[in-house]
Amino acid sequence: MVVANDPLALLLLKQDVEAFLYHEANLLDDRRYEEWLDLLSDDVRYWVPMRRNVKFGELEREFTREGQDINWFDEGKTTLTQRVRQILTGVHWAEEPLSRLSHLVTNVEITEATPSAADAGEVSLRCRFIIYRNRVATETDILVGRREDRLRRVDGQWRIAQRQVFLDQNVLLAKNLTFFF
Amino acid sequence: MAITFQPSSYSGLVDRDNGMVSREIFVNSDIYAEEQERIFTRAWLFVGHESQVSKPGDFFVSSMGEESVILCRDRQGEIHVFLNSCMHRGMKVCRYDEGNTPIFTCPYHGWSFATDGALVGVPFYKDAYHEELDKSQWGLIRVPRMVNYKGGIWATWDANAPDFLEYIGGFRTYLDILFDGWDGSEGGTEIIGGIEKWMVPSNWKFPAENFIGDRYHNISHRSVDLVGIGPSGQGRRDNSEREGAKSLDVSFPERGHGTVMFLRPEDAQPVPSYQNDPIVSEYFYQCEIARKERQGQLWRILAGPGTIFPNMSYLPRQPRSIAVWHPRGPDQTEVWRWFLVDASAPPEVKEFLRQYYIRYSGPAGLTEQDDMENWNYAHAASRGAMARRYDYNYQMGMGYAVTDFEDGGLKLDGTVLDTTKARAGEQNQRGFYSRWREFMAARDWDGLATWRNNGSAC
Amino acid sequence: MADIVNLFEVEPGQKVGLYSGATAEVVSNPRDGVWLFVRYLTSPDDPDQVGEEDMVFAQDVLELMTD
Repeated sequence: MVVANDPLALLLLKQDVEAFLYHEANLLDDRRYEEWLDLLSDDVRYWVPMRRNVKFGELEREFTREGQDINWFDEGKTTLTQRVRQILTGVHWAEEPLSRLSHLVTNVEITEATPSAADAGEVSLRCRFIIYRNRVATETDILVGRREDRLRRVDGQWRIAQRQVFLDQNVLLAKNLTFFF
Repeated sequence: MAITFQPSSYSGLVDRDNGMVSREIFVNSDIYAEEQERIFTRAWLFVGHESQVSKPGDFFVSSMGEESVILCRDRQGEIHVFLNSCMHRGMKVCRYDEGNTPIFTCPYHGWSFATDGALVGVPFYKDAYHEELDKSQWGLIRVPRMVNYKGGIWATWDANAPDFLEYIGGFRTYLDILFDGWDGSEGGTEIIGGIEKWMVPSNWKFPAENFIGDRYHNISHRSVDLVGIGPSGQGRRDNSEREGAKSLDVSFPERGHGTVMFLRPEDAQPVPSYQNDPIVSEYFYQCEIARKERQGQLWRILAGPGTIFPNMSYLPRQPRSIAVWHPRGPDQTEVWRWFLVDASAPPEVKEFLRQYYIRYSGPAGLTEQDDMENWNYAHAASRGAMARRYDYNYQMGMGYAVTDFEDGGLKLDGTVLDTTKARAGEQNQRGFYSRWREFMAARDWDGLATWRNNGSAC
Repeated sequence: MADIVNLFEVEPGQKVGLYSGATAEVVSNPRDGVWLFVRYLTSPDDPDQVGEEDMVFAQDVLELMTD
């Protein structure tokens, strides 16, 4: 659980985690995809559900389910690596020429640190993102939503072990999702 | 300069004899408005799957052309399709995507409709309407024709449209492959939860003609073929079954439907596929054996992508799915994609397919992403005053199709173009636009059911 | 004057008082926040209504009765 009795340790941990998240965003925006893949643990789970309009009191049906339904993404490192390899073929027309991207990561909150904030081997966090994409000439997409990540320290380095992305859209307004959240 | 299109204009826009189609039909907003009247209020349209409304009160909000409709199962278990618009002042009576409900209540003035469409709740019925409003006349607008064919729910707004099976004609062979179980058992499919919905900046006919049989656009998918996401780890599909097969493009130009397929040799036997996973491989192998036994010669058909005129496209083999290209203005298409699996397949098979479907299809699918880039910019580059003066070329393979195709005792309906050596052809697209032209020009279904006059049901 | 009743909070079996002066038992709640399915218990203006099932509109509901 979040360690409320050690605020200084939590502050330092948050600083550390935020630096990692910004570094990650830079890699994606700088198109250093292979280095980005290295930030993912081998058993990473990457899930982006679709989102339904549901009646009051039925919010448990709002998101498509991980591991059961069709989702925008519901995969591990193998498929994520295939996505990177596809961009790097040079003939992935949806990303050729490459889009211009900016990932803005904000509202970072650590929700869990184990075994402790002072000596965290694993951290769960929640944040918001804005992804701005501009491609070819005037084509622009803005995708906004919430992200829930679980980071794990491997050989002293943070690795992403789980990413859950909750997009604030029903009908996806972008023609494709050729980038990473 | 505003151009007004008369029914007679359309023969000039789709030049059947020379295999050319004007760009106007993709980009012109007057033509687009005419399409809504002449095509989308008259053709049979795909609405959803019965497995989405399996229990009384279940509903799924769908779309027919531009219009929102409600697919629902009433308390007595009967399936209906209604216009999603309150009869009093037009408000959408359902703004949820799916769920279960006893009534649909309009949030504007409170009129409320039962799941069979009947108007059941009228606020101030006694005081303001003096009980004089005839509620029986003001139920939700119901589609005049609806059919549940092997689980697929189809509807048309035209009471005079032919029966669905007459509309489908000889294409039924291919539609059956989509909705039947993999082993050939009748209608054995269901939807996996989660319908993909996304916007593509292109006219709705771009994807419709792509799916009807554009073998030529393989180069679009070069990147995914290089990466290899197929069920056996290579390419984007599993092609082991195509050994020695003929490649055929099948068109039903009098109806506008078309598909591509591979025809296995007469002496072909089921071969193992999806060999990355033994359970999945065994499942499909056994299904193929069962289907061969059940269907005999027809088993030789390895069906490929197809389009049922006007805007329902599908992939009957993997990734088994249905796409509907909802028109949203001349320059926008809202794509909806349903994914199908054998209802009786083991969980391992369903899970294997679910993962493949996700990585192949839709806006995040490694294959489909590149299609949408092409449709987007092909459309954009055809809009200009200069660009639209130049027709698109659909001449590939003109004059090479036959109407009496036969191979090893198997006769095929429709117009068949053998593309085994040619590798690609455009007769299916020509058939699609030829039918489009008829829809735009004909006054009614008497004029559209041309096959009745020819005495041929091909 | 009672507060406006939020129909989501009304359960089958509960009784409601209507502006018309009638009272009714809730048979089921369609959970749209707008309508209730009820059976009339009393109806001073229209005694024939008693025992009848009907839909009642939110703005016709005066109060949730506690007995």
